[in-house]
Amino acid sequence: MREPTFLVLTALAAEPRHGYAVIEDVAQMTAGRVRLRAGTLYAALDRLRVDGLIEIDREEVVQSRLRRYYRLTGAGEQSLTAESARLRAQATIAERRLRARRTELGGATA
Amino acid sequence: MTEIRYRRLLALYPRAFRQEYAEEMIGVLMADPRPAPAQVFDLIRNALIARLRLAAPGSGWARSARLVWFFGATLLLTVTLRRVVGDIPIPAHPGRQWAGIPPVDAVRLAGWAVALLAAVLGLRLVGALGAVAGLAGEIAAPSRTYVDTPATVLNAYWLIVAAFVVLCAVLVAERGALRPRGWVPIAAAGAVLIAEGRFLFLLDWQRPESFFAWRPPAALLAVAAGLVALGVLRQEAAVRRRLIAWSVPILVTFPLVRAGFGGFVAYNMGHPDSLRLIDPGQWALLLVVPLAAFAAAAAIVRRLETPA
Repeated sequence: MREPTFLVLTALAAEPRHGYAVIEDVAQMTAGRVRLRAGTLYAALDRLRVDGLIEIDREEVVQSRLRRYYRLTGAGEQSLTAESARLRAQATIAERRLRARRTELGGATA
Repeated sequence: MTEIRYRRLLALYPRAFRQEYAEEMIGVLMADPRPAPAQVFDLIRNALIARLRLAAPGSGWARSARLVWFFGATLLLTVTLRRVVGDIPIPAHPGRQWAGIPPVDAVRLAGWAVALLAAVLGLRLVGALGAVAGLAGEIAAPSRTYVDTPATVLNAYWLIVAAFVVLCAVLVAERGALRPRGWVPIAAAGAVLIAEGRFLFLLDWQRPESFFAWRPPAALLAVAAGLVALGVLRQEAAVRRRLIAWSVPILVTFPLVRAGFGGFVAYNMGHPDSLRLIDPGQWALLLVVPLAAFAAAAAIVRRLETPA
């Protein structure tokens, strides 16, 4: 799963959100490192809808503009769970190896 | 940027996508305070991806686009280098002066060098700027003599199409730095092309009367073509199919120019005092045929990959 897809699913895991709210939430989650643009966001939303991972929650018209809220589906929740587990497992391996490396380097310099 | 301009850009998306998301996207774009150029680049890129996804679903296009970007920039850089290196006289023969690199070749060289470096580092926006410069150079080079010799544009048309293909590939390519499988044969093909250009130049210089004689460089061209084929063959099957599809619009220009413009070239050669320029219908043919060829190739890829 690509990072924008993962982040969009994560944003929708908290509550149904409209497009601009997803951009804001992703920026907040990543401390400003990832700030999705409209083209990338709607490409990801379209793909996720086609794959059945998200669906439309409701629509509103605010200041004469359409605002559509998206929510995670059951399949989306499973997919996000699996991806989170995969990333956690990789991070655990990386942390373990870094700890071992620091121990070895500490031993060598002592 | 105004709403009307964003709406014009959204027209690049497939109609179905536009009907589903255009109104929402306009709302998001107008609410987003970030600078317009980056938004424009993002919209153009994703519109192209949306069209490619329609042509042949699957992520293979974005992956193969990275290779087209890398391989295409390498080959277009070497084609320009071949021309420049081939013109440098031998120091031992001071009778011929070297005028330096023509500005249009300098633009091409810089453009493709930047595009290639950006492919290695995974910098898409920089790669797009390099490819735009390269494309501008490829268009400008034959345009200089178009009015006197219209056929120069036809002879160089494959290069213009190749440059456009590389630009499209940069726009839809996956993110990330790249040193792809098969880069060695492609780089070797580039080196052979440069050597061929230099060899041809030396041969003409030393034996100008041998113009119609047997030319070893023809064999070098075959070697270069073989190395490119080897680079393509080293890719996995799905990527290989797409690489071939990407190359179809370039390859189709050769029979198009030969079959569609043979009479045009023959007329101009026989009537130097009343040259004909390429008319609007012929320009339309030059634009439409490569696009249609790519659409057909993409449809074949989709059919091959659709489960029975």
